[in-house]
Amino acid sequence: MSGHDSKYFSTTKKGEIPELKEELNSQYKDKRKDAVKKVIAAMTVGKDVSSLFTDVVNCMQTENLELKKLVYLYLINYAKSQPDLAILAVNTFVKDSQDPNPLIRALAVRTMGCIRVDKITEYLCDPLQRCLKDDDPYVRKTAAICVAKLYDINAELVEDRGFLESLKDLISDNNPMVVANAVAALAEIQENSSGPIFEISSHTLSKLLTALNECTEWGQVFILDALSRYKAADAREAENIVERVTPRLQHANCAVVLSAVKMILQQMELITSTDVVRNLCKKMAPPLVTLLSAEPEIQYVALRNINLIVQRRPTILAHEIKVFFCKYNDPIYVKMEKLEIMIKLASDRNIDQVLLEFKEYATEVDVDFVRKAVRAIGRCAIKLERAAERCISVLLELIKIKVNYVVQEAIIVIKDIFRRYPNTYESIIATLCESLDTLDEPEAKASMIWIIGEYAERIDNADELLESFLESFPEEPAQVQLQLLTATVKLFLKKPTEGPQQMIQTRDQLPIFICTCTVFKHSSQSVVTNTNSCLQVVLNNATVETDNPDLRDRAYIYWRLLSTDPEAAKDVVLAEKPVITDDSNQLDSSLLDELLANIATLSSVYHKPPEAFVTRVKTTAPKTEDDDYPNGIDTGYSDTPTHVADGGTSPQTSSSSAPYPAGRQPAPPPAAPAPAAPVPDLLGDLIGLDNSAIVPVDRPEPAPAAPLPVVLPASTGQGLQISAQLTRQDGQVLYSMLFENNTQIPLDGFMIQFNKNSFGLAAAGPLQVPQLQPGTSARTLLPMVLFQNVSGGAPSSLLQVAVKNNQQPVWYFNDKVSLHVFFTEDGRMERGSFLETWRSLPDSNEVLKDLPGIVVSNVEATLDRLAASNMFFIAKRKHANQDVFYFSAKIPRGIPFLIELTTVIGNPGVKCAIKTPNPEMAPLFFEAIESLLKA
Amino acid sequence: MGILFTRMFSSLFGNKEARILVLGLDNAGKTTILYRLQMGEVVSTIPTIGFNVETVQYNNIKFQVWDLGGQTSIRPYWRCYFPNTQAIIYVIDSSDTDRLAIAKDEFHAILEEEELRGAVVLIFANKQDLPGALDDAAVTEALELHKIKNRQWAIFKTSATKGEGLFEGLDW
Repeated sequence: MSGHDSKYFSTTKKGEIPELKEELNSQYKDKRKDAVKKVIAAMTVGKDVSSLFTDVVNCMQTENLELKKLVYLYLINYAKSQPDLAILAVNTFVKDSQDPNPLIRALAVRTMGCIRVDKITEYLCDPLQRCLKDDDPYVRKTAAICVAKLYDINAELVEDRGFLESLKDLISDNNPMVVANAVAALAEIQENSSGPIFEISSHTLSKLLTALNECTEWGQVFILDALSRYKAADAREAENIVERVTPRLQHANCAVVLSAVKMILQQMELITSTDVVRNLCKKMAPPLVTLLSAEPEIQYVALRNINLIVQRRPTILAHEIKVFFCKYNDPIYVKMEKLEIMIKLASDRNIDQVLLEFKEYATEVDVDFVRKAVRAIGRCAIKLERAAERCISVLLELIKIKVNYVVQEAIIVIKDIFRRYPNTYESIIATLCESLDTLDEPEAKASMIWIIGEYAERIDNADELLESFLESFPEEPAQVQLQLLTATVKLFLKKPTEGPQQMIQTRDQLPIFICTCTVFKHSSQSVVTNTNSCLQVVLNNATVETDNPDLRDRAYIYWRLLSTDPEAAKDVVLAEKPVITDDSNQLDSSLLDELLANIATLSSVYHKPPEAFVTRVKTTAPKTEDDDYPNGIDTGYSDTPTHVADGGTSPQTSSSSAPYPAGRQPAPPPAAPAPAAPVPDLLGDLIGLDNSAIVPVDRPEPAPAAPLPVVLPASTGQGLQISAQLTRQDGQVLYSMLFENNTQIPLDGFMIQFNKNSFGLAAAGPLQVPQLQPGTSARTLLPMVLFQNVSGGAPSSLLQVAVKNNQQPVWYFNDKVSLHVFFTEDGRMERGSFLETWRSLPDSNEVLKDLPGIVVSNVEATLDRLAASNMFFIAKRKHANQDVFYFSAKIPRGIPFLIELTTVIGNPGVKCAIKTPNPEMAPLFFEAIESLLKA
Repeated sequence: MGILFTRMFSSLFGNKEARILVLGLDNAGKTTILYRLQMGEVVSTIPTIGFNVETVQYNNIKFQVWDLGGQTSIRPYWRCYFPNTQAIIYVIDSSDTDRLAIAKDEFHAILEEEELRGAVVLIFANKQDLPGALDDAAVTEALELHKIKNRQWAIFKTSATKGEGLFEGLDW
């Protein structure tokens, strides 16, 4: 905060504040006004002028509107830092809210709403009540907004004082501005409240529709948004509403247009008559097209919204595809969105035109755009069966131009086309193989390898092609390695005996493989072939020489399959693959519904439900990974038999146990998972699907209500007793202190100093303790900073403190630092990054400790408590009768702690294992967690 | 030039606004007195949370009168208004005998203030119209006014609602 820092400059600016103070108290009005202006100027540039609070407030009662506004501005800024003194302004507010000038009345009410100080809110209710019933519409509408602000500060007060009823009355106001603002206020209150507060009845409906035509454009937006939430009783009513709203589509303000579109789309759900729907669709097209002639930023917003609209009602813009053709000077983000929509609108009728465009785009200079254009061709091919052939010929033409990234992208999409239309277009494989050498991107490589493996029987030299990749197997990215493994197995199963036998079998390098694979060896004695040796090289590489668990597991599974029953392996590996479908309608319908209801908001631009990015929404329902999945396949890389399991769900990495020995490997799961099935279920319990236990992000921290521990007893301090504890509030470390004066004399001039300590804790400001009369006490919260005077050596929880005052000698005492006060609010880790971090840390960084005396009886409460101390729950799993919980926490300078707690619920004894880059902190951590669990 | 002349005029004729604080416990009648002085009429008031400030012209002298709220919660902030004060009007609810002791304590606390050393003190024994109101002598006794040393002071019987005694006080 600027307020804290300005003190460093106070020496150079000596005299400025007193000078201003003097001017503020001047008897001349002009001088006072100038002084307030200077104060505001200082405030704007970030100087702390809060010490002038009373002097500024004293200028508040004035006839001069300009001066009054300036003082109000000051108040809004500083009332929070001077909550006690803010009360001095109350009377003026009350007076101003009765001023004959409506501007002043409105100004007073508005300012009151902006001052978020608990102590004065209650005094503001009466003026607010009066202003809600004011004669002047400007005052009424300002008061309406003020109610929404007040609701945010103190919801109960608003409900108790009947402000909600007054607001609802305002909907029937005869002034459209008032109606619009009342609607806006109610809508905002509704969003922050759990109960139904604002529901439109048929009576208010007609009022709103009338006001809609008369109020300002932004008022219209509010009313339209409210109307879109209204559930019409039947189709007739919906039709009527839509008819009244349709003229809004012609509005010049694009916000109004989008809100109107949203509202009409919502009501259209109820309309059954196809004629009416068709008519409406026709009417909505021109305004949407018009939006695309605005500035690029607006175009982008419009396009993101149109993307949603098209998914629900493709007919609206079916004939307008030409407006989505990219112009050469469109910004890249607009181009990308236009492509998206073109794919969605592509149909058998316009595909020729669209393909021509795409081909054009594929020869542009922007690499990303070109790639997307190539993908777009592929997606059209998948979407439109009849156009597939034309798409492929375009792709082949593009491959011929030999631009590296175009070729790679084309191969990726052709792989998808093969999956969509199996056994139809394999004739082009030969052409693809020509470009084999140019491939350098993992995804393209993986796609090509997949094609080779899948059609091994039709490619004469498939083994040679694969071999060329095998040379660099260990260096390839995981994605390519997995594909290579699968493709080799496929090749082996398809043509086990073919190929020249020039490769020397490396039996001696694979002792384990050979001796356990007896069945395999005996049943195919003659299979000492090239493919066989390929396979062995791959299996060897994939099992022994890799540390990627996914690859290793898959290799082991294939290996077991092959060694026990090659026929079964054939059934599994060469199983019929389900045909993939068009994925350009990516959003699932419930999400689409939600997003359509949020058209013209950020949510519809992000294509995410509001609670996914706004933390203040009351139901911060944690999302499971499955929700994100539709976006995951957005890239068009639909699915391959070797679905790359994301590293976050592998059993080896999450538990600290050693990898499973081969002999204990469970029965192999099918090697070709169903498309789009997100990672097998056997790990479900690890992912921790009981989301109810995940606490909301912005849980307020409980105030430290418990009595503070005594650090300096009165007997030692000659009557001065100090109790203190480090706490954490709002992301700041505070030293909460209580001074009790049991001496016979008043004590003053308190100062504090911290000795060097492991965390470099030091006071961020002077100790604020007033003079202590005998027998009184004072509490204070001292803000602390870190890394000020760090002591070397092993981390220690010892904090040595010295306190002095003007009357007594210096007192020294020791306090203990509990590590958890440093846990930062951003310590939450995603499961994926948790597992990754766990894996990346060497085992030597893992420290174990038994906490025998601790009983966890109520899991929920414990998780809540830990979360309140910024120790974030990540997942849980059951292991025998024990529950294993995973948490993450982070201390400043980004040092993470990964925590595993193992316990039997209700029984004493908790085993705590932590992994951290700084294992020397472990003893401190255990102390902290023990106290947290005990509390 | 014109401005210069006006300035000289105002200093010549002492057209300087005198700063007067109206203090006292809550419900003593401070706000009523203020508006009685300013407008000459009785306004209905609500408890003052904060302050009122009005300019009162009396006998060619302009007074800037600050009426501060008397609630316990606001009393600590009186001190913010002490600098540059020429006079204090301390208003007492003469009918509220129970709280006279508190009024006395607050009053003497004010007199202790360094910044008010030069201010003259006028005490209004207000609400004389109510039955059971103490007269000025009794109030003098209760407030231990005789202890005041080195300071000009005076006490008047007033009734803000009836308008009695106020201007006599200002005359003084």
